[in-house]
Amino acid sequence: MSKIKDYFANKTNKSVFVPFFTLGDPHYEASVKYGQTILDSGADILELGIPFSDPVADGPVIQRAVARALKNPFDFAKIFQTTKQIHSHKPDRPLVYLTYFNPIYHCGVASFLDQAKDSGVEGLVIPDLPFDTQESEDLFAALEKRDMDLIHLITPATTKRRVQALKKTSSGFIYYVTSFGVTGERREFSLDLEERIRSLKEILQLPICAGFGISSPEQASQIAHYADGIIIGSAIQRIIEESGADTVACCQKLSEYCLSIRNSFP
Amino acid sequence: MGKYEAGYFGEFGGRYAPEILTEALEELESTYRKLKKNKKFQNELNFYLKNYVGRPSPLTYAERLTKEWGGANIWLKREDLNHTGAHKINNAIGQALLAKHMGKKRIIAETGAGQHGLATATVGAMFGLETIIYMGAVDVKRQNLNAKKIEMLGAKILPVTSGEATLKEATSEAMRDWALNVKTTHYIVGSAIGPHPFPTIVRDLQSLIGKETKKQFKKATKQLPDAVVACVGGGSNAIGMFHDFVKDKKVKLYGAEAGGMGQKPGEHSATITFGKTGFLHGTKTLIIQDTNGQIVPAHSVSAGLDYPGVGPEHAYLSTSGRVEYRMVTDEEALASFLEITRLEGIIPALETAHAFHVAKDVAKKLGKKKHLVVCLSGRGDKDVVEVLRILGGGKHE
Repeated sequence: MSKIKDYFANKTNKSVFVPFFTLGDPHYEASVKYGQTILDSGADILELGIPFSDPVADGPVIQRAVARALKNPFDFAKIFQTTKQIHSHKPDRPLVYLTYFNPIYHCGVASFLDQAKDSGVEGLVIPDLPFDTQESEDLFAALEKRDMDLIHLITPATTKRRVQALKKTSSGFIYYVTSFGVTGERREFSLDLEERIRSLKEILQLPICAGFGISSPEQASQIAHYADGIIIGSAIQRIIEESGADTVACCQKLSEYCLSIRNSFP
Repeated sequence: MGKYEAGYFGEFGGRYAPEILTEALEELESTYRKLKKNKKFQNELNFYLKNYVGRPSPLTYAERLTKEWGGANIWLKREDLNHTGAHKINNAIGQALLAKHMGKKRIIAETGAGQHGLATATVGAMFGLETIIYMGAVDVKRQNLNAKKIEMLGAKILPVTSGEATLKEATSEAMRDWALNVKTTHYIVGSAIGPHPFPTIVRDLQSLIGKETKKQFKKATKQLPDAVVACVGGGSNAIGMFHDFVKDKKVKLYGAEAGGMGQKPGEHSATITFGKTGFLHGTKTLIIQDTNGQIVPAHSVSAGLDYPGVGPEHAYLSTSGRVEYRMVTDEEALASFLEITRLEGIIPALETAHAFHVAKDVAKKLGKKKHLVVCLSGRGDKDVVEVLRILGGGKHE
């Protein structure tokens, strides 16, 4: 059984908190501190972004984070080393990588997965790798061998036919994109969000975590009543953008924000 | 057909786009498949191509170039004479009609040199569609004339300031807009790039360049040309020119890509020469990237070739050996730009100037009595200010 599946099976809260930030922003040493702080402040599963030069599914806040991260020479060894340091702080909390497919392909899928697993990573989210490609099928098989998960995105535009079709190669949880567009904070969500999440849970028999646009404790609290998890990226990344130069002050702000989200859950 | 063969050219192509775009891509694919066989749609398209674009574009015998180069007979396929001055309008008209048939009232596009932006703004005006053009801030400056024309046509230009602020970033931004407005908007991709079905649609809409060339050339000489040359950025004019000749094995096909200022990463846009297989903007193709799979900024004196990827069909034609792709430096392209202007009285686009440099070499090697066609993909009015800036100003400043 994968660690993510295990984590959802044994969770004590109704919903889990899945924060995200980009590794290397503003530098890798700070990322270790930020990761550890976020884990200390209520993160259940931590999503770590591996920077890619052309993040087409991301909005301006994460785009800027990636640009700052890539000002440091990109280095997979540093990515894995940083991940390991974050993981060793709370080894019971699953880590997930979110990145685009090109860097993984160039690292070599098997080598990437072995190093990711060794660093404490339990699953992958790849926004530009649809499930109905040969590469996705091969990746799913390679992940399965290592008890790791391939976390697919489902959006309001995903048809019922596609939801049925991606069942076979989905594991861990589903990343449900709450609204059209790219990542970024939003004020409103679609009216049928609750209904959609409940129906996906029934069809897929997998936990459904909602992301894209969630930023306030009020929004998180509301959605946590029916989603298995709340994913927050841009709001966290904005704190790093505004305070990242001062690691101590930034950790303080991250901690306050993450606790406010975690404590808002039912 | 295998499970995942649709939309692939050998190992290249496919659909590697964010999930939010998949439904729109599937809708586009099924609409296109139906309309491709629909006589009424084809008649409508041909009506606009003839009466609005001005097709067929002429095939001109270049007498002075032929004499000066002293080799093969040079012929020019005159896409520069199309309305808006380049081949881009062929695709923009076709995709605007597709958008109308899908009931989309808003169109968006990315543009480098501005020719695709101009073509899209033009069809947006003609069909009464709200039009948004994403253009790198650097390109807005260096292709200011086109930027001004786009605005005059009623389209809105959104300058993109991220990264290198050129075509790659404009493409990413257009994809993000599409993700947000996918229900109401059609993204008119400007080159033979992007997720399936775009490379096929763009190729099909541009393939009339090669078809007309073949017909016109046969009429003039009762034979096929010995060689065909076209410039390649994303590669839409080249794939349009090559497509009908691919099966004619005796016709040698040459693509000219931007060698820029040198061979180091960041100095060129020679994707086929230096690119490695990868995934960018929804397709699997050859891409200029570093060993970690990060995309390296591309450079070319020509904003239209300044893209680190290439259409997947070109990647395939290169690896299969059917087309020979060569690099042309900025300096060589500028020299060709001036040479063609002075010898033929035609100011070619800087993109096309790359093709002329390759044509000169190929023509000399082919020798007399042979025939070579250059796809004159667009006119160079848009490039005059930039060329004068680089060369240090004109005589009458």
